[in-house]
Amino acid sequence: MVAEPALTADFAIILLSATFVGFLAKKTGQPTIIAYILAGVVLGPAALGIVQVSELTELLSELGLAFLLFLLGIKMRLDEVQHVLKPIVKISIPQMAAVFIAGAGLSLALGFDPLEAFLIGLAVMYSSTAVVIKMLTDKDEATSLHGKIDVGVLLVQDIVVVIILAVLAAGRPDDLAEVATTLAIVLVLVALITVAAILASRTLLPIVFRRIADNKEVFFLVAVSWAFLFVFVSDNVNLFLAPLGIEAYLSIEMGAFMAGLAIAQLPYSKELQDRVNPLTDLFVMVFFVSVALDLEAAQLLAHWQEAIVAALVLMPVKFLVFFYLIDWQGFDHETTFLGSINMIQVSEFGIIVAAVAFEGGFIEPEVLGFMTLLAIFTMGVSVYFIEFNHALFERFEPTINRWTGDGEFEGGKREYRDHAVVIGYDEVTKNALPLLADRYEDVVVVDRTVSHIEALEEEGYDAIYGDFRNSTIRKDVAVKKADFVLSSSVQPEVNKALLREVSEDATVFVEANRIEHARDLYDAGAHCVVMTPYLAADRLSEYLRAYLEDDVDVLEAAIDGDIELLATPELFPDVNGRLGGGGDE
Amino acid sequence: MSELLTAVSILFIVTGPLLVVANRFDLPTVPVFVVAGVVGGSVIDPDILLELAYYGIALLVFTFGTRIDLAAIRSVLLDGELAAIGQILVVGSLGVGIGVALGISPTEAIYVGIAAALSSTIVGTALLQTEINQGLVRGRLASSIQFVQDLIAILAILLLGAGTLESGYVATAIAGGLALLLAAVLVNRYLFDAIGRFAGSSDELMILAVVSLLAVFVGAAEFAGISIVVGAFAAGLAVRHDPVEYLGLFNGLQSIRDFFVAIFFVTIGALVVFPFIGDIGWAESVDKLVLVAGLVVLTAVVKPAVTTAILIYRGYEARSATLASLSIDQISEFALIIAIQAFLLEALSSAVFDAIILAAAVTMVTSSLSQRYDEEIYRALANRGVVSGRHDRVDEWSDVPDDIADHVVIVGYGRQGQKVVETFEELNQPYVVIENDPARREIVNRECDAVVVGDAMESYTWEKANAVDARLVVSTVDSRPVSRRILSLGLDADVTLRAGDRKTALELVDEGALYVGHPDLLAGQQLAQQIRDLFDGDLTREELRENQRAELERRADHVPLHLR
Repeated sequence: MVAEPALTADFAIILLSATFVGFLAKKTGQPTIIAYILAGVVLGPAALGIVQVSELTELLSELGLAFLLFLLGIKMRLDEVQHVLKPIVKISIPQMAAVFIAGAGLSLALGFDPLEAFLIGLAVMYSSTAVVIKMLTDKDEATSLHGKIDVGVLLVQDIVVVIILAVLAAGRPDDLAEVATTLAIVLVLVALITVAAILASRTLLPIVFRRIADNKEVFFLVAVSWAFLFVFVSDNVNLFLAPLGIEAYLSIEMGAFMAGLAIAQLPYSKELQDRVNPLTDLFVMVFFVSVALDLEAAQLLAHWQEAIVAALVLMPVKFLVFFYLIDWQGFDHETTFLGSINMIQVSEFGIIVAAVAFEGGFIEPEVLGFMTLLAIFTMGVSVYFIEFNHALFERFEPTINRWTGDGEFEGGKREYRDHAVVIGYDEVTKNALPLLADRYEDVVVVDRTVSHIEALEEEGYDAIYGDFRNSTIRKDVAVKKADFVLSSSVQPEVNKALLREVSEDATVFVEANRIEHARDLYDAGAHCVVMTPYLAADRLSEYLRAYLEDDVDVLEAAIDGDIELLATPELFPDVNGRLGGGGDE
Repeated sequence: MSELLTAVSILFIVTGPLLVVANRFDLPTVPVFVVAGVVGGSVIDPDILLELAYYGIALLVFTFGTRIDLAAIRSVLLDGELAAIGQILVVGSLGVGIGVALGISPTEAIYVGIAAALSSTIVGTALLQTEINQGLVRGRLASSIQFVQDLIAILAILLLGAGTLESGYVATAIAGGLALLLAAVLVNRYLFDAIGRFAGSSDELMILAVVSLLAVFVGAAEFAGISIVVGAFAAGLAVRHDPVEYLGLFNGLQSIRDFFVAIFFVTIGALVVFPFIGDIGWAESVDKLVLVAGLVVLTAVVKPAVTTAILIYRGYEARSATLASLSIDQISEFALIIAIQAFLLEALSSAVFDAIILAAAVTMVTSSLSQRYDEEIYRALANRGVVSGRHDRVDEWSDVPDDIADHVVIVGYGRQGQKVVETFEELNQPYVVIENDPARREIVNRECDAVVVGDAMESYTWEKANAVDARLVVSTVDSRPVSRRILSLGLDADVTLRAGDRKTALELVDEGALYVGHPDLLAGQQLAQQIRDLFDGDLTREELRENQRAELERRADHVPLHLR
């Protein structure tokens, strides 16, 4: 009857099953990634075969990886990562070499022929960006020290993957010189795109984003547009270079990461994280489900025993390699342990490398199945290790201490505690700022207007650009640990959410426009609800009373006082000096 | 990388810079998307984007559904503002007429009529946000008119789902639509909180669950053979909820929505065949342009005119009526949904489709301009006598003793106005209240001795209030034009005004006001005092809370119900 293009059922089925298994995982305390991957296995041709990879799901899963890396890029402030750059390079290169040797050797031992073993070695070197970063983000550990190490190593691995993919995609190389050229080109391209991103973050982006930051929708979409620009360029770099007779590839993940990195250096990145996060969650879900959607059972299971043996050998090997290398770089026991335990899986890039190798005619489909199974299996197991990494560390701490050197590497970020949080900078709250600054070591102001943030930072306050509704922002200002909170929002839902989150010892001032809202807020634990309209009404009627009763002196003094206050030009009036008897209640 | 990813990339790459430019000039985003589509349409094939675009439509309607305030429906019905919806009928029929006159088929003409009659919530409400927040009459009027129009749009989508109005289809459609709505209510009441409890603190799962719910409703609509838009709307109603508990969810949905809705509008733009460009004939182009021009005139000129006339007839002040009408002078994004649906069903020829889309883009831009210069437009019209309020209404609704003199004129009966009236009554000081919101007419009349229901911008209102003989004018309205107007009346009386920001306040003092209240300043003072008391130990937190609560209850006893 209705002839409009039907929305394909595939995506709906993926959504529904993902939700179902997601809730199941949540109920049973399992990580959601596992649930998604298993859902893919069940839905795909290996089991039920009711969902095929459609163009839409393919797009969404591609976007999932791209957005995940974009989001990760947004979180990387260069000044915060700089101090771990050197150790990261020193860890990642030997790590890949060691794991390659282990992987290739093991494959030979398992009966694969030398070429296959070589490629399997290349494919197992990397840890999974998707799993590690997703888990770190979920656990809010992406910017912790071990998080930074892991992310850094993953990125170096990513560059290596890109290079290897480029070489493989070019087909069987004629000689070593060709491999070397491809390598050189890819490295130059990565360098170019990095320089472009950093240049943009110094020149173009601050101007553009300052203009649009006050409009939520435009801000978000322009940021997305920026990400797509990099995705598009990296993906089509081959087309751009073709006229020059050069053949080269870059991954869209790399592009997305660089786009994010450029934005991360701006003051608006916090707000953007929260806007990009939900889209990423949705798309990444599709990515994990579709990991197993492509595979026939026969291919997947042809070498299942070998895959299990390989997984059981490779995971401890990876852990030990990482553990030794991170410890060698002088990090403390906990960082070393957590940084290593997170990285024991084989990456989804392993599957991609194998897939490209298969298409290039290097390996049989069964080897691809083996790699897929290996990746899924190790990802699945490693998710549990990441989930319980802290518990494991506590359990094995004495043993670990015996084997590691003394950590001398300093790092990590400062956290707020017993500080004051001010939500929204306006003519009301600004009066409180100097008082709070006298009393508290840290006063953090959250505001959504760029010019306010700049003025506040000039005055030496910690100012965070963003919307208090966003959980990242709430976490960043550490509302839970604040000793004093002042909100200038009159929206009851914002204030109620605030009251829910603050600790019992915090003093809370909020604003409201309506009596019933004020009542609710007191019930919810507010200590003072400022009601601007009523205050103004009281004051006005007081003046009018004086006016009508011809109490001229009182009136004139009061009015002059108000007008003098009005005329005070500076941004932060020294209210201490001026107010004799401020409240007129 | 797939062809689709390339298309989506190009789409966003084209849109980004245009958005930056448009934002510079404070233009709404929807026309930007359409233009980006027209530009990008030369490179990308819109057909492969259609499925994504459909998710955009679904999310657009879905988020509209989540924001529906059932109390608002009731108050619109009660306020009698439904009468303003008469303009839909008038403008709609004119649209159909023009369509037929231009020689397009009657079915297609219906779509032209719908396009002309419905206004855009996204554009209109976004532009009006300040006025709505301040509770001004025109803000409330415009948003409730748009609200009713949106509901009508959903109904139209439901009924036009088959491309024609066949009776057989209509019956199924209505039955299916009702079933979906019922399901939505049930889910909202029984299932939603259970999902929330299950998801616990995980925003990810909550968002996933809600998107799945959307997919189920959309699937059900598809299965029942009615438009997915209706399913999406019902799904929105199903998750309608107080946002406090689900801040993460609603924020997350907003991102997802913004992403897909952009794709939808850009795709629409990409479907348009632009006149005089590409493989389109000269005569065809002219025909299309004529239709576009007709629609633009109808929407940007005739629609506000008709609406103003109706509102004035209903007793609204000429100014409020004109300003409210000037914010609904664009084509709705829902009309775009209706158009694309009909186009894909082949109920609409590409010529008419293109005309509707182009006219929508044009009117959304002109609308933001007319909004920016609304005060000037009204002045120009009023000075030429084109619009004038009806004094008999003002006379009928007002109640001022003939011999009143040496009195105080109070402008606005909000919280401040109410408090001021209370003070004057205590002091036995005669006063007149000027209030321009007919919805507050009864309360003002009941509670105040002397009332003029009229607009403070109009001289007749002041005449009526006998301002010449007043000793004092107290304006409680935070509006620069009104404040300026009062000062320019040249009255002997002293004037106290209200201002929303420091700069305006100082200007008004310079221009001769006795006193200008700036509520934020007072609140800031009081806040600083209270914090100092706390820090100095003069007051404990608990004492502060108790004092404040007592103060609140004291106030509550005095405040009339409608202001609480």
